This record gives sequence, structure tokens and C-alpha cells, in this order.
Amino acid sequence: MSPAARLALLSCVILGSCAGPAPPPATASNSPPPAIAYEAHVAAGGIAPPGGVLSNPHEADAAVAKGGAQLFTAMNCDGCHGGGGSGWVGPSLADGRWRYGGADAEVFSSIYYGRPKGMPAFGGVLGSEGVWTLVTYIRSLPVPSNVPTESWEQP
Amino acid sequence: MPAKNYAATRYSGLALINAQNAHSLRPVWTFSTGVLAGHEGQPLVVGETMYVVTPWPNVLYAFDLRQEGYPLRWKYRPDVSSNALGIACCDAVNRGAFYANGQIVYNLLDGHSVAVDARSGRELWKTTTADLGNGETITMAPLVVGERVIVGASGGEFGIYGWLKALDLKTGRTVWTARNLGPDADMLARPDTFKPPYDGGVDVGAKSWANDSWKTGGAPVWGWISYDPQLDLIYYGTGNAAPYDPEVRVGDNKWSASVLARRPGSGELVWAYQFTPHDNWDYDATGAMVLADLLIGGRPVKALVHFDKNGFAYTLDRATGRLLVAAAYAPVTWAKSVDLASGRPVIDPARQTGVSKGKVTGVCPSLEGAVSPSSPPAYSPRTHLFYTSTNNLCMDYGAAHASHLRGTPYVGADTPYHPGPGGNLGAFIAWDAENGRKVWEDKESYPSWSGALVTAGDVAFYGTLDGWFKAVDARSGRLLSKFKVGSGVVGNPIAYRGPDGKEYVAIYAGIGGDWALLAGDTRSDDPTDVRSPADYMKDIARHTSQGGIVWIFGL
Repeated sequence: MSPAARLALLSCVILGSCAGPAPPPATASNSPPPAIAYEAHVAAGGIAPPGGVLSNPHEADAAVAKGGAQLFTAMNCDGCHGGGGSGWVGPSLADGRWRYGGADAEVFSSIYYGRPKGMPAFGGVLGSEGVWTLVTYIRSLPVPSNVPTESWEQP
Repeated sequence: MPAKNYAATRYSGLALINAQNAHSLRPVWTFSTGVLAGHEGQPLVVGETMYVVTPWPNVLYAFDLRQEGYPLRWKYRPDVSSNALGIACCDAVNRGAFYANGQIVYNLLDGHSVAVDARSGRELWKTTTADLGNGETITMAPLVVGERVIVGASGGEFGIYGWLKALDLKTGRTVWTARNLGPDADMLARPDTFKPPYDGGVDVGAKSWANDSWKTGGAPVWGWISYDPQLDLIYYGTGNAAPYDPEVRVGDNKWSASVLARRPGSGELVWAYQFTPHDNWDYDATGAMVLADLLIGGRPVKALVHFDKNGFAYTLDRATGRLLVAAAYAPVTWAKSVDLASGRPVIDPARQTGVSKGKVTGVCPSLEGAVSPSSPPAYSPRTHLFYTSTNNLCMDYGAAHASHLRGTPYVGADTPYHPGPGGNLGAFIAWDAENGRKVWEDKESYPSWSGALVTAGDVAFYGTLDGWFKAVDARSGRLLSKFKVGSGVVGNPIAYRGPDGKEYVAIYAGIGGDWALLAGDTRSDDPTDVRSPADYMKDIARHTSQGGIVWIFGL
């Protein structure tokens, strides 16, 4: 079986759907985006893009997260972000810190559309359902409690 | 040139700094490159100018060594894509530049090769050499032979179809492209002129890969190239076979993890020798091929010496590729020995990996290599010894299915590291390649990731991962001087004579080059990427943090 065929099969198994291309993630809108409040305008990029707030259909679903763990390997995410998302040439996804926001919708955008410095856009390959499956897995990763401080002193 | 000479010996004939006075070495100048990634490679001194290439964004600095404080003559900032940062497997490194014919030639991470006027800093040409979208980046230093600029690509973790190219020095135009695997026609291998000493046959570069897996088989070129003008052969090593699960590419996987000898003018393949047939362990053979004239069993031989990731040091006849000596220079468990008659390793079946085998434990060396190919050795014709950094790490290897998605990693393995036997994680050693034996060893607490330099003053130089730059007696290994240089050393020392007639030694500080090695807790510039230390090396971040600095030492 070709790698592509194997991938397609894997996706079908994990996602439980072998339908055609997934719908776009957000509804297109001709209305102007909501105004930016003063408190928000200094947090550039920290607010959800206009055009509808995305919600994760599988939020905190442990079974979906388990499928997402397989997808994380199958889509070669671990090749850059390390096994378990612990960080490699790409940043750690398990430290509770986020360049582009850690809410489900923000992680969705990073995976679906890609990010600068080499994060590919996976929306075209995975569709919305596949991306949400990955989001659910990534958001399920436990965050260590003492991330900010490393100490080598004897207590 | 990057390795001092075409033979890649990294031997300097200067002797003003010697074993008697090296204890007085002191820093005379430093410069922050403004870049944080791993500073592999080495400065290049041409006349009264020192050239320094940084990791991505691949800035080229030209320092005026005639003036106090070595002010810049110019700096060149190429247009280089930030997307390359996510395509480089391990770090955004660069291994150096080459000077030829008034031009500084080097490669950009995003797959371009550039030539810059050495006097003015003006860009002369820029050629797209590698395909970033296909997972190819360029980290290696080019080699110029006559009118040819020889270049290869990284991407063994992206399932590339590995190649070597020659560009025209004047125009940058691509003259020939030779694949490192695949059918003879792609490899520029002709039956009448391609004479491998052991395993050959028509299209062996394709037939030794089940199910046409050569098409995504890797075999990148991210290390060093050497050249013998008498034989008119260039020598270079190829990287790992892709993906990391060997069961999807049954066969020898020629010519991954191999050394290839080609004609620089035409690219024609003359011989090839495979160090690790059917690579199960990510044992790239991209380390330097050092050319030296040695006495083997009393007979003078034009030899090629190579310290492989797989833990064996090889001495070959560089005219034919025939194996003369092979001996372990670090702990090895994947093979018992290398058979001189067949040229093949005697494999331990219990260390064969693959998805069907699950987690295979106790594989030595680790996939970081018994030495990193980015840390080239040195050879002194005075002591007849080779000097190299080593790593003392072993690993478990759990292969997993990987899907080939163009431009994403094609890896599939979980490979935790463990310290090897002996309590030290690295060393700097002197090696007798005529007899295959270690002469002395300076143990290091951490993996040793710098290149080596040896001089006619019988001093050998190297740096450590915890940030010491060291000078040792080339005959005994005795420490002569050390200085803490601000960040871990993964670069290669050079010696040169300054405009004032004095001898100087230069080295980069700047830990990096491999994220598994670094754990990521030596990084401080990104508050959104905060990692735990590596479990085999919990305290490296206690001693060093990222940061690129050029150092010059003198008496």
C-alpha cells in the first residue's frame, strides 16, 4: 500500500469518516469585524479572528484525544514537535505556553493555516475534523507544574 | 577552505603556539554574532580578513584584521526564508564558507547557494540549489574544485532523494546533478567506470531498496567533502536511509550511509563503499573523509580515514575504496566487528530494529553518533595521529510507521538516550588509524561536539559542550590551557597567522546543532517554549545557554 493510501485509511479509521473535502472552518461573512476594544488592541494576535468564534466539537473528549495521539504521529507532527509534543526543532506543546494562543480555536488556526518559521498548513490534508482531533489531543497533554524554574541547588 | 586543505586534515603548520607556551594562551578579541542557533563550522581567514557565516539568517561578516578591534569591512545579509527553520531537522546551523577566485561561496538554509565578492561584499550570484518544499535545506560548507562548486542537501529526516550538485564558480549555473541512490543513470554511474570494491551490479542503488523505496530514501549530504588532486576524486559521505523503520526498505539501501568517490568535473561515480548496509539506526556517514598517506602493514597507502556515527573508525584505500582497517573507537553493540574481506559489519541480530521488533534496547552508539558528523577530526603528519571528539551515548530504538508527506518529517522512531559505560558522556581522543587503536583519551562530562585542530606546535584544540575551550598536548593529551567561552562549543577551531606575524587560534561558542542533545532548556529567548532537561543530561543548562560568539586567542 502506498504511504498516501495508508494515511487515507488511517484517517478514515481515526476520524470515522471517509467523505470528501471538509467544509471551511468558519462561515464567510460580509459584515465588518467587531471593533477592537482599547484593552484588546495591545494584545495583537491574541484575540480570535473575526468571522465567527470556532468551537471544538470534541472538546476534552478523551477518546478523540487518543485518536489524536495516533494522528500526531501519523501526520509526522512528532518529527518537529517531539514525541508527546515535548519539543524538538518545533516548540514544546506540553509546557502550557503558546506563541499563538492555547485555546482550542487558536490551536486549530495554527494547525489549519500554518504559522511562520516552518509550521505547515495541515487544513488541506486533514480537513476540519482531523484538525479538531489533533487539537483535542494537544489540549489533553498534561502541563508540568513547575515549568518556570529550574534549580540545581540542593534543597 | 573550511577544513584548511583539500585533504581535510585541519592541520596548521604554525608552531609559534606550542606545547611549551600554550599555558599562556589568552583571549584577545570577541564578537557577538547576534544569532542564537548552534554555531557549527569555522571562521575563514583569507589574507588580512576573517570571514564568519552565522546560522540562519546566514549573515556573512568580513572583519579587518589589520585594525585595532578588527572592525567590520562589510556585512552581507542575504534574503533567506524563515520557513527553512521548520524544515531543518535539527537546528538552523551553517558549516562554513569557501574562498576561491576572489569569491566567498556558501549555502543558505533555505536551499540557495551564493557567491559574494570577497573585497566588496557584493552578491555576485545566487542559485536555487535545494527544494525547501521537498524537505531539503542546506547546512554544509561547499567545496570548490577548479571551476566547480560542489553542494549537497540536508533532509534525511524528510525522505528526500539525496543528491550532490556542481555549480559553475563564475555564474552559479548548475553543471551536473548526481543522486546518491537510485538507478545508475541518476547516480551518474557507468558500468565501465564505476568500480565499487565490494557490492556492485547494475542499478544497485535502486535494486537494494524494496518497493522502490529509494525514491524517498534520504541519503543526504550535510557533512564535508575532500579532494585528492592526483587521483582527481572528490570524497563525501551520505546520510541515513529514510524512514527510520528499516522494514519498509528491505535491502542494503545503497548508497545511503556510504562514502562516494566522484570526478569533480563530470560528477561521474568512480567507487562507493557502504559503512552501514541497511541502516537500522540513523547512522549517517556524513562525517569528514580525511586524506592521509599512511603505512599499513609496512606498506605506504594513499588512505582515507573516517570516524563513522556507527562507532567504527575506517581506514580505506582512497584509490579503490577497499577497506584496510576498521576498529571501534567508542562503545559499539549493533555489530561485533567489520569483516575486512567482505567490507561488511558482523551484525548483532538482537540489535536489528523495525516496527515488528518493538522497542530494541541497548543500542550503542546512539543515533547522535559516536561522534557527530558535524564535528570533524584533525590529522597531524608529525604525530601520525588523528584527533576527534566522541560521544558516549547509547539508545533504545522503537521504530514506528511513518507516512511520507512532502515537506514534513519522514522519521518514525522513539529513541531515548542513555549514558554509555564509564560515567563520562564524551571524550577527546587521539587515534592511530594505521593500527586501529586509541592512543590517549581525555574524558569529558558531556557529549563532545566540537571539531578538532592540531598544529605543528604539537597542540590540539577543541571545545566542550559546557563551554570550555581547551588546548592539549597532541602527544599525550595533557591539558595545557582552558578558558570558559560563554556558551557550549559545537564549532571547529582554526589557527592562522595575523597581519602582525603572530599566531592566533579562533573558535565559535554557541551551543546548538541538535535539539535532542540540548533538551531545549539551554534556550532562554522564547518564553513560549519552556522545556524540561534531557533525562540523560539533567544539568547542561546549569553551565551554558545559547549565544553566538567568535573568540580569538593568542599569546
